[in-house]
Amino acid sequence: MTSLKHLIAAAVTAVALGAPASAETLRVGMECTYAPFNYKTETGELAGYDVDVAKGVADIIGADLEFVCQQWDGMIPALLANKFDLIVASMSITESRLEKIDFSSPYRDSVGRIIGKSGQDMNLFDDAGAPIAANFDGLRIGVERASTYENWFNAKLPDADIVLYDGNEEMYLDLVNGRVDAIITNPMKAHLRFLSQENGSGFEFISPAINEVEYFGVGVGIGLRQGQPELKARLNGAIKQLINDGKLTDYALQYFPFPIHNEDWGDS
Amino acid sequence: MSFDTALIVESLPKMLMGIGLTFQLLVLSAVFGLILATLLMLMRISGKWWLSWPAQVYIYVFRGTPILVQIFIVYYGFPQLEVIRESVLWPVFREPFGCAVFALSLNAGAYVSEILRGGVLGVDRGMLEAGEALGLSKTQRFVYLTTPIATRLALPAYGNDIISLLKSTALASTITLMEMTGIARTIVAQTYAPYEIFISLAIVYMVLTFLIQKLVARIERHLGRYTLKEG
Repeated sequence: MTSLKHLIAAAVTAVALGAPASAETLRVGMECTYAPFNYKTETGELAGYDVDVAKGVADIIGADLEFVCQQWDGMIPALLANKFDLIVASMSITESRLEKIDFSSPYRDSVGRIIGKSGQDMNLFDDAGAPIAANFDGLRIGVERASTYENWFNAKLPDADIVLYDGNEEMYLDLVNGRVDAIITNPMKAHLRFLSQENGSGFEFISPAINEVEYFGVGVGIGLRQGQPELKARLNGAIKQLINDGKLTDYALQYFPFPIHNEDWGDS
Repeated sequence: MSFDTALIVESLPKMLMGIGLTFQLLVLSAVFGLILATLLMLMRISGKWWLSWPAQVYIYVFRGTPILVQIFIVYYGFPQLEVIRESVLWPVFREPFGCAVFALSLNAGAYVSEILRGGVLGVDRGMLEAGEALGLSKTQRFVYLTTPIATRLALPAYGNDIISLLKSTALASTITLMEMTGIARTIVAQTYAPYEIFISLAIVYMVLTFLIQKLVARIERHLGRYTLKEG
């Protein structure tokens, strides 16, 4: 008897709060080892930008969350095998992945930014965010070999003097040593591994976020199984609301000194 | 797997654009290496311990460590030292080209000095005694007897070392230089076709090696023209 009473009471409360009577539980797959996007804190709590986004979305669509830690290479198979319902694991939306699974609209941008010495007004980009080719003259720029950034440079600034590197660390070193005047890379990586470190002092971003979808892709989205248009629409609505409410910016600012989504994705 | 010949035809000219840089690395390192090797060899055979020992230590260090490590020490290590960054040599070490030539020359110097020493030690003692009997001074004997004979004796091994140096220039691609291997690696990263590209690259190196072999053989014939057996 008492348990029935409790149930009824709980149902009434739920209805009063405006949540669906039968709260659905969404299981979310992520690596749990990919700081600062999804990782376990020292106390064992899951934290990170992906975790914040998942919680924010669940809040809006009124679902309970259950996190499942899954290694990266088995992420999509596990989603397809119904081990969980969503992938919120910093997974970029790509053509080949779209053949197997569906994605929500992006919640994180794929961008590049140029880094150079602080305090120089190099004026490399105009107000619309387009590069000014003449101001790249005489600049030596470090780029990762065969990266999206190299493709972008080849297309937009074919005359730029670019130096190709096999990895980011070598590029940071040569920037510090003055072998290159600037480098282009992922701003989040650059912040974590370089700009926030000791040898990165004296350097800063000297370009806006470069994010042409043609070169850099759409961004990072929430993965779900195909054939769920209704769930996808709810996810998209929730992400848009997080952007409009400034929540995505708040999440990002916990880990980076800049937002990591595109404001144009909201109703700005 | 399929072998994309069209890709080879398309990529070969691109790789050959790096041949100039490969040659510059080879020629400069060979010349500086030879100068250094001569000095080291003279120190080594001087008979004075305070000249011979440093030369032996140098040779041991540079033959005892991989060239790649030597290149990395010069390229990544030197800029960490204030002394070098403040010095007049910084413009040389700032450039990856300068670092590559420097490291390759130091390495070649160590190997070639031993090749030269082998040549000098191979000169027949009787010949030198004959020179002495004829009243030639020690310097004259070294210049007119030892040097030409030692050169001829050392040449085959030296040609071998030049070929080895040619292939060592490929390591310059690890410090951003776009010589032939650097270009090839970039094409591979773009096309995901390592098989076709690296095989064509290997063939280019083989052709260059063939040319060096022919050149050295011709020099050998020229230097040995008085000792050629008739027939």
